[in-house]
Amino acid sequence: MPLTTEEVEEIRRILGREPTLEELAMFEAQWSEHCSYKSSRVLLKLLPSTGRHVIVGVGRDAPAVELYPDTAVVFKIESHNHPSAVDPYNGAATGIGGIVRDILAMGAKPIALLDMLYLGDPGNPHANWLIRGIVRGISDYGNRIGVPTVAGDTFFDSRFNRQPLVNVACVGVASRERLVLSSPRPGDLIIVMGNATGRDGLLGSSFASKALSDNVDSDIGAVQVGDPLTEKLLIDAIQVLVGEKLVSYIKDLGGGGLTTAISEVAAEHGLGAVVHLEKLHTRQSLSPLELLVSESQERMLLSVEPEVADRVAQILEKFDVSYSVIGHFDDSGRIRVYHGGRLVADVPARDLAKPKAVRRDSRPPNEALKGLQPLTRLPTPPNLKDAILKLLSSPNTASKRWIFEQYDYEVGIRTAVKPGYGDAAVLRLLDGSCRGLAVKGDANPRYTSLDPFTGAANTVAECFRNLVAVGSRPIAIVDELNAGNPEKPEHYWYFEMMLKGVAWMAGELGLPVVGGKVSFYNEDSQGRQVRPTATIVGVGRIRDVRRAATMDFKQLGSLIVVVGATYPELGGSEYLSAIFGIEEGEIPRPRPATELRNAKFVYRAIRRGLVRAVHDISGGGLAVALLEMAVRGGVGFEVDLSKLVVRGDGRFDEILFSETQARYIIEADENAVEELIKYAQLMGVDVSIIGRTAGGGRALLRYDGGSITVELDEAASLYERSFEDAIEGGV
Amino acid sequence: MLHRIEVVVKNKHGVRDPEGETIHRHLILRKGYSEVKSVRVGKYIAMDVEAETREQAIDKVRELCERLRLYNPIVHDVEVRVYG
Repeated sequence: MPLTTEEVEEIRRILGREPTLEELAMFEAQWSEHCSYKSSRVLLKLLPSTGRHVIVGVGRDAPAVELYPDTAVVFKIESHNHPSAVDPYNGAATGIGGIVRDILAMGAKPIALLDMLYLGDPGNPHANWLIRGIVRGISDYGNRIGVPTVAGDTFFDSRFNRQPLVNVACVGVASRERLVLSSPRPGDLIIVMGNATGRDGLLGSSFASKALSDNVDSDIGAVQVGDPLTEKLLIDAIQVLVGEKLVSYIKDLGGGGLTTAISEVAAEHGLGAVVHLEKLHTRQSLSPLELLVSESQERMLLSVEPEVADRVAQILEKFDVSYSVIGHFDDSGRIRVYHGGRLVADVPARDLAKPKAVRRDSRPPNEALKGLQPLTRLPTPPNLKDAILKLLSSPNTASKRWIFEQYDYEVGIRTAVKPGYGDAAVLRLLDGSCRGLAVKGDANPRYTSLDPFTGAANTVAECFRNLVAVGSRPIAIVDELNAGNPEKPEHYWYFEMMLKGVAWMAGELGLPVVGGKVSFYNEDSQGRQVRPTATIVGVGRIRDVRRAATMDFKQLGSLIVVVGATYPELGGSEYLSAIFGIEEGEIPRPRPATELRNAKFVYRAIRRGLVRAVHDISGGGLAVALLEMAVRGGVGFEVDLSKLVVRGDGRFDEILFSETQARYIIEADENAVEELIKYAQLMGVDVSIIGRTAGGGRALLRYDGGSITVELDEAASLYERSFEDAIEGGV
Repeated sequence: MLHRIEVVVKNKHGVRDPEGETIHRHLILRKGYSEVKSVRVGKYIAMDVEAETREQAIDKVRELCERLRLYNPIVHDVEVRVYG
């Protein structure tokens, strides 16, 4: 997005003269939406970002949160939506590279990746090609740098056919004393390490700050190719540099390249910098302007005291990592850039780093009424058994084995709960103890496009539930808000409401939002926004990974307990969408107080060893959740749904497929039930014992005057196979 | 008549090729072959195609490469040629 006339005027005022070409390019890169958050900064302040466990919050490359008194977890989310739409393989791969470097910048060791992918209809040839490229890009890059992809989230919808959302997150751990919390000081040398700078990715952030053009070929400059080998060397070299305490600051060279990295570091610490561009190691001959804004991947900036520079150089050479000492920080508050002795830019760091925040106009479009419409006329219920099977086969519900089996999710032997078996991934710390952490990413693009506030709030709650369902205590989240064009009030409204929804629910649940990203301009060449989507990644503490709960039914004859009351809430459900193609109505209400109460109950039940399996109820409702537990465990069940605690007077399919929040299913031993009920009464939690796990290879759901029987083999085969069939077949 | 058609897909000029660079830097140069100035890695696909003429076979392969996305026109150059 080129600078506006007002912005150029503002730059003239800041400099008190005509800007040079190099200065204009620096302002264009840094003032792009991607780097400066100019359209979102005012509202982002609404997010609750502090808490007693937060060590470093918003502002650094990644936040750090106390996981245990001696151990910090560093995690962050990033989107690579625009690059992935043009070059799915490299776009997704370089997204992984970027998010891993953010974790490195804090001195942490990256231990896990998550991918939250909101993709087109697998039956559409273009979308299918994008899906394959994106998944392969993530798996190739992640596998080659040796960081397992352990969890994620997916959603498929034709509105993502041309512009998918590729959100990736990385989790790292570090002992508290290893975290790089120091600041650069005047006199510190500026070292750029990693790949040689080239013409690739020129003004990529500016590219991400506008809509996709029809003529994507013209965007060739923004195509970047991932280089996992160099990334791996960066990871290894930084572990040694940090271990020897040789660096005062580390920063990723991401969007905006050198310009952004230096101006942000300088502005944040009240420093200035002197940079000699000709010293930067390059792949080809580049102009000063190109050197300043190239976004070549796998590069990082180090701030190093001159006394230890030789030792740093020695280590980088040992790892065969290219580097160049390009200048130093000073206390002038200005960024002075030289090229071959000629001063090409001289700008105040603070003014460059932070353009004036804009309060964008915000207005709900008429379409938003669809999410307020109570569902008064439901279509006639179909054959319910067929509906259950159809839901299990929907790409949004069916097993994502095709995706996660491409990932090396076990590398590093940290994975205690494998993909597909738990509501969240559970990882060991591998420090000789049984301590670990749980991590999960979630979004529901259908909810957030119907009702962005409530949908985003529900996503925070869903992430919270997923973390609780494996037996962890949620400690913090990060968010990625994917929205349309901020200059259009009817797009911006969705962003604003999603942000407010996240802020509200995170505040209610006591979960600090320690970091995040905003991605705007997710629209097609006709200016239609893709589904506005709020993606949440959360981390939980789990003291003993051996006690982590999984969702698979374990034994015959256990009792099946539903935690939480069910309301007739079908608006925006997977059921209405997959069976009838209906997408409207009030989506389920967030109920934070109930959410907290029920979570506490489940967490306590898991810690006391009262459960055999736990699963949170989400897309597809109770029916799908029960069948997932049965299919995963190969154990059937018999339940009577007239025993369910229900509020309101809903039709049977409304109860079966309702997506009411704050609910879980527990498999419990008969002897544990008394204690469970006692706790439930004490804590004011609604529980219903609806039946038992059973043999015979079938699932039986009774209700007033009728029953549904599903053969487990059939359900399992549809659940396991459907997604792969959708990807591989019929295109 | 059966024609053997070869397809070579490689990154466009100007798009990086980290695999080629790695082979060049970490293997070839390290082992002393300094006369090698650059390395590019690509994908080679051979197809036997039933068609009346070579030109028709080439056109068919060109079309399928495009339609089935055997390469990404934004990133890659594709070369379609007759074997031999």
